[in-house]
Amino acid sequence: MQEVAVLGVGMHRFGKTGDAVVGTKSVTELCRHAINEALRDAGANWRDIQAVAAASSRFSGGKGWGLNGNDVVEDLGSTGIPVYNMSAGCAAGGNAFNVGYSLVAGGVYDMVLVVGGEVMPKGMIQTSGVEEATDPEFLRQRCVGMPGPSFWSTLARRRMHDFGTTEEQFSRITVKARACSVHNPNSRFQKAITIEDVLGSPYVSNPLRLFQICPVSNGAAAAIICSAEKARQFTTHPVTVASSAVATMTFDDMLPRGLADPVTREDNLHTEVRNAVRSAFDKASMGPQDVSFIELQDNTCYYELAFPEEWGFCEPGEAQRLMDDGETTPDGRLPINPSGGFVSFGEATTAMGVFQIAELTWQLRGQAGGRQVPNAKVGLAQTNGLGGNATAAILKK
Amino acid sequence: MSEQRVPCVAGLFSETDGKAVVHGSRCTSCNTPYFPKTSHCHNPGCDESNVEDYDFGGKGVLWSYSVADFPPPPPHKYDEPFKPYVIGVVDLDAGLRMVGQMIDPLEAVQIGAQVELVIDTLYHEDGKAHTSWKFKQLQN
Repeated sequence: MQEVAVLGVGMHRFGKTGDAVVGTKSVTELCRHAINEALRDAGANWRDIQAVAAASSRFSGGKGWGLNGNDVVEDLGSTGIPVYNMSAGCAAGGNAFNVGYSLVAGGVYDMVLVVGGEVMPKGMIQTSGVEEATDPEFLRQRCVGMPGPSFWSTLARRRMHDFGTTEEQFSRITVKARACSVHNPNSRFQKAITIEDVLGSPYVSNPLRLFQICPVSNGAAAAIICSAEKARQFTTHPVTVASSAVATMTFDDMLPRGLADPVTREDNLHTEVRNAVRSAFDKASMGPQDVSFIELQDNTCYYELAFPEEWGFCEPGEAQRLMDDGETTPDGRLPINPSGGFVSFGEATTAMGVFQIAELTWQLRGQAGGRQVPNAKVGLAQTNGLGGNATAAILKK
Repeated sequence: MSEQRVPCVAGLFSETDGKAVVHGSRCTSCNTPYFPKTSHCHNPGCDESNVEDYDFGGKGVLWSYSVADFPPPPPHKYDEPFKPYVIGVVDLDAGLRMVGQMIDPLEAVQIGAQVELVIDTLYHEDGKAHTSWKFKQLQN
């Protein structure tokens, strides 16, 4: 295994179809912008790229087959390089990073482009569209009617019961996230909001409100990764990858994902995420105490409380006190989502894992401006997606 | 004349003499319950898959709940005008954590409450009431 570096990163600012930021741009145009930024950041040329690891989208481009990496190569110039299109729901960006990382670490290629981009349809993400009694997601929606936000609010409600978390505490997480987003030129929302704004937004699924849930967005992110040895030809202080891990859920999982699951002895939720983060820590020979900041998948602000507890950063029920004490802000002891997170960006689903790599890189280089985590040395990124997929990556300077 | 009731999806559940059940499976080797039916045991710790049909119903405890404040996208179907409903996640005594709409209004629903499985109308179409399984809180 050879050490892997993140040589360059780039993004297209996130936005909503028709707005002044993304307008009517196609996913290919968004990706092209992000890739050109990443190449410029790396000091590299498109012809230097030896392979592409791309996140497969269900929603845009890819010729309807998730061939998003092929779209990118055709657009930037068909050099004949191998393309790996990775499908893992909302974890696809993280999965693409893992595949790119593994190929470079294994010595197969010296320089790989990792990319994810989306143009998302309006409104709540719909199910597969398959109307068959053998499709569990069809059954869940036809027989019950449980859209994504209800899934998250079920977890938020249980947390309120277990740990006394209040709607005000959930709201303060959004306020914190948006305060970070003011300093992030790539964020879709860049305006500070108040707790009254959050509590005044309508319930999408009681107890969660509109401003506590990420909307869908259009956007793209790219990263150029290479061997650390090669990186030293470009820079004296490359950001390197301490570890990258992918995992799926295990049988002990108790999250209400389908119609029904066997009750196991412990209430283990998000086992795929736990498995990926543990694996990333093991591979890096690191633990929570080594992490300067986290970029985690906050589809809803509930996750800023639940995930650090599930990963051993603090005891169950303790995360809300850390948040109340300001410890999860960029200046705190455990900064979470200094980028502003999904709640500020909105979710361009398959771009998110790559967006996190970009944020980790900027933070570790000290280039994050007003949202900079002081003295950031090690960053942890995490995604999870449909099907019980999860990824985690640890970057260090 | 009472309206005709048909299951919203055939073969998943039934109601006889007022007793509601969902049709699932159970592995007789490791005792793991499944709904909907499975043809193979998913437990990686089970040495030999021996799956048989098994009906689940009866009582359970409400683990958590949420509200559909807006109509879910298709393929969900509902009667106009849309009325928000509570979705329960129930740990059935039979060993399944199961999702289903709650009969009870939001104000009445409580985590930890005893509930029972019932069959109730989900929406109307072609002059028929299309039913699904739901949960109903029992009086303490």
